[in-house]
Amino acid sequence: MLPSYYEFHNPVKIISGNKALDNLPSELEILGAKRPMVVTDKGVAGAGLVKIFIDSFGSSGMTIGAIFDDVPPDSSSEVVEKITSIFRQNKCDSIVALGGGSVIDTAKGVNILVTENSDDLLKFSGAEVLKKKMKPLVVIPTTSGTGSEVTVVAVISDVKRNLKMPFASTYLLPDIALLDPRMTLTLPPKMTAATAMDAMCHAVESYINLQKNPMSDAYAVAAIEMIRKNVLKAVSDGNNAQVRLAMANASTMAGIAFSNSMVGVVHALGHAAGGICHIPHGVAMNIFLPFGLEYNLPKCRENIGKLLLPLAGAEVYARTPESRRAEQTINHIVELRKALNDLCGLPINLKQAGVTEDKLSEIAQAAINDPSIVMNPREMDANDALAILKKAFE
Amino acid sequence: MNVQYRPIVPSIKRFKIFVIKIVFIVLGRAFQSASQHDEEIKKEISSWRDGFTLIMKVMPDGPYMGLEKKNNMLEFKGSQLKQADLEIYFRNVESAFMIMTPQMGSHQAFAERRMSIKGDLGIATAFTRALVIVMSLLYPEFIVKRLVKRVPPLTLKRAGLRVWLYTFGIVLAR
Ligand SMILES: [Fe+2]
Repeated sequence: MLPSYYEFHNPVKIISGNKALDNLPSELEILGAKRPMVVTDKGVAGAGLVKIFIDSFGSSGMTIGAIFDDVPPDSSSEVVEKITSIFRQNKCDSIVALGGGSVIDTAKGVNILVTENSDDLLKFSGAEVLKKKMKPLVVIPTTSGTGSEVTVVAVISDVKRNLKMPFASTYLLPDIALLDPRMTLTLPPKMTAATAMDAMCHAVESYINLQKNPMSDAYAVAAIEMIRKNVLKAVSDGNNAQVRLAMANASTMAGIAFSNSMVGVVHALGHAAGGICHIPHGVAMNIFLPFGLEYNLPKCRENIGKLLLPLAGAEVYARTPESRRAEQTINHIVELRKALNDLCGLPINLKQAGVTEDKLSEIAQAAINDPSIVMNPREMDANDALAILKKAFE
Repeated sequence: MNVQYRPIVPSIKRFKIFVIKIVFIVLGRAFQSASQHDEEIKKEISSWRDGFTLIMKVMPDGPYMGLEKKNNMLEFKGSQLKQADLEIYFRNVESAFMIMTPQMGSHQAFAERRMSIKGDLGIATAFTRALVIVMSLLYPEFIVKRLVKRVPPLTLKRAGLRVWLYTFGIVLAR
């Protein structure tokens, strides 16, 4: 159904494929950049990806302004400030984020401070606070899941003040998302599975929630189909570059979908569980997805049913009567979780993920204050959230 | 023929702005009153710091509706506040009119980007829930049903509060 009104925006240039990285210097030139600063983490550097990155700049005539490779797993304002001062000292003029969600969010934070010429991120926290076009930002994801390379958001925690600062602005959109299969080859199986399920949740939630529209639907459906065809191979045969590239593409498409139509209760619960019990985001997504769908079933049965096509293929879809499709969609997700659990031990309940039962009501309370629930089809209150958490516990 | 080109200044939408101003006053007073009596709203605002301000604003420059948290309640500040900790924007007069009259619920308004937020998104989420409760007190269920995802339960206490709002609450803002 066509919404009475919608907006869709994705100005990010996608560069995808074999040796894509080697085109980066010329792309930076088009953006008017001459001295990029690279933001990455120890894991990426240890996997030899920074070396591949530097090699791709060989004979390009471009200088890399600085490389910061110490971004922690949870992006913090302290690190953002540190990188900002390095950026200024080395007279850099653009940023390349080489990493996963934390690295990308950190790079977005650095871009805010260097663009606004400030040292206080908190001043720019919130939605639509930023008003200036930012420095060129190129994102090279080394995980396939967060979709941050094409989203308008970043979350950075302020350790001193003990709060999580969300940022949302069209200016946070990177200029380029560069998908090079070499960058995800070394991602371990469990991480591959967890981030894939994050991408899956982005696509599924964007397809069923209140802000869905025909453009985001197209991206979501394409992403789900690509994940279905590749995720198990990506986990069991990580060296397959074709499969890795497909997962990177799926993740980016899912990112475009949810950046335009938002997510829902699965993410609200995941953010809350992540904040309180430090469960990795992708792991939480994998745990909550079937329960979130089951919860929303009374409000959007038809849309959940339509997802059976990309999720199970045309044969299964045609064989399933319309009235059973929504349940079958959920079954397929449960089966996919089981397969991933067998392959790499990805947790399928909160207990396996190390959550204790006494934390559930605290998580429920945090979940209903998470902005992700606003676009969810069904209004979730604290009791509903607690009921879902209990089902997901063991 | 000699054509003269002149700048065109579109007219001001006086009627719609007038209606929005009236609704802002009713809504603001209803908030001030309900925040003293409704347990759910009290719970939603309990974690906000004292002196926390929020405004609803029609872009680009008004009308405005301001609220301030003071002594565990929301005080209606009329159109005095032009900036606040949490700012809720209506994109233009048409959008504000649609939402305030009320032909469109806040979820749909957010989805259609007719409403946007500057400030703490967690508090904005809590405020949206409080807004739903106030709307459900102000309007009959058959209207509210079209605007919200779930109609807040009309408890006996709320039924009483609704009567109070329409007799004294809005007038006295108590
Ligand atoms: Fe996510």
